[in-house]
Amino acid sequence: MSKITDCIANDGYESLLDKVLIDEPTLMARVAELGAQISADYAGKVPLLVCILRGGVMFLTDLTKKLTIPHHIDFMAVSSYGVGARASRGQPRITLDLNTDIKGRHVILVEDIVDSGHTIDHVLRILQTREPASLKLCALLDKPERREAHVPIAYLGFTIPNEFVFGYGLDLDEYCRNLPFIGTVKKEYQ
Amino acid sequence: MTTAATSDLTEGITRVLFTEAQIQSRIAELGAQISADYAGKDLLLVCILRGGVVFLADLMRQVSIPCTLDFMSVASYGVGARESNRSPRILLDLREDIAGRDVLLVEDIVDSGYTFDHLLQLLRTREPASLKVCALLSKPTRREVEVPIDYLGFEIPDEYVCGYGIDADERYRNLPYIASVK
Repeated sequence: MSKITDCIANDGYESLLDKVLIDEPTLMARVAELGAQISADYAGKVPLLVCILRGGVMFLTDLTKKLTIPHHIDFMAVSSYGVGARASRGQPRITLDLNTDIKGRHVILVEDIVDSGHTIDHVLRILQTREPASLKLCALLDKPERREAHVPIAYLGFTIPNEFVFGYGLDLDEYCRNLPFIGTVKKEYQ
Repeated sequence: MTTAATSDLTEGITRVLFTEAQIQSRIAELGAQISADYAGKDLLLVCILRGGVVFLADLMRQVSIPCTLDFMSVASYGVGARESNRSPRILLDLREDIAGRDVLLVEDIVDSGYTFDHLLQLLRTREPASLKVCALLSKPTRREVEVPIDYLGFEIPDEYVCGYGIDADERYRNLPYIASVK
């Protein structure tokens, strides 16, 4: 077990938490605003919201509850070929593809966080080859300081500093995804 | 699948079975019970896509002990989907090795029980420390194979239901309540 896993298993997440960066009411209010904005922008259309597992699931389900227009949801899972996961420059491998044919559809990719941008950039390019009517990105968090690939974010929840964050879908060694807020990790555990 | 836009998201709904408040209150109870039962254990929540995600997202917020999360996606081989009594085909397998883990399978609805039964059999071959089921809804009158449900939200009659993650032709998933539909 890693130091982080040990610590969470023995003492809970509180021992790792530096501060709550975005609390639950602030998150929910912003998600409601994004839902209203997407509902207005896509009025008369049936957008397909595509969630990339696993971090985006909490954001996606809360976001869809705030949509007032008909829409569909679908999921993709990607992993990197080698080690390094999100930070990887390598192309992601699709481990679960969409259930939906997106040709001619209005697609909104829903992600928890845009970091280096490499994975999302690749996923967007893969989806673009399938000729959707439109393709936009909705991200809860943006860490612009970490960006290496240019990724246009059409709907953004919050811009955050380059800190190690967790909660609300984002994990700490797979733990803490279930917390209803976004927190930062104490320096000694980063 | 239809992509025709309808102005009314609730068109076709006949009556509300469980309100948002009833669902959220029951989920808080389930979360508290799971947190107590799994205290000190290595809980892994496994969600079956796609219907279970709404339930999972709310349930996990009510779990106060450390836990991890994984997903599976299954489909039937031919037509008939959930009614099929054949083994489901795994489209997305778990990322986590579940040997020795305490696994809780999270599903929206248990109907005939076939898919669930096959999934449980499959997961047992991987020797988890424990394997339990948490379902939001159960239709006991539809059951054809016995499935033990350790944590259950609500029992419902044999009606078409939708909302709170459960779709009818991809519609109604995002309704915060559960309703019967034509």
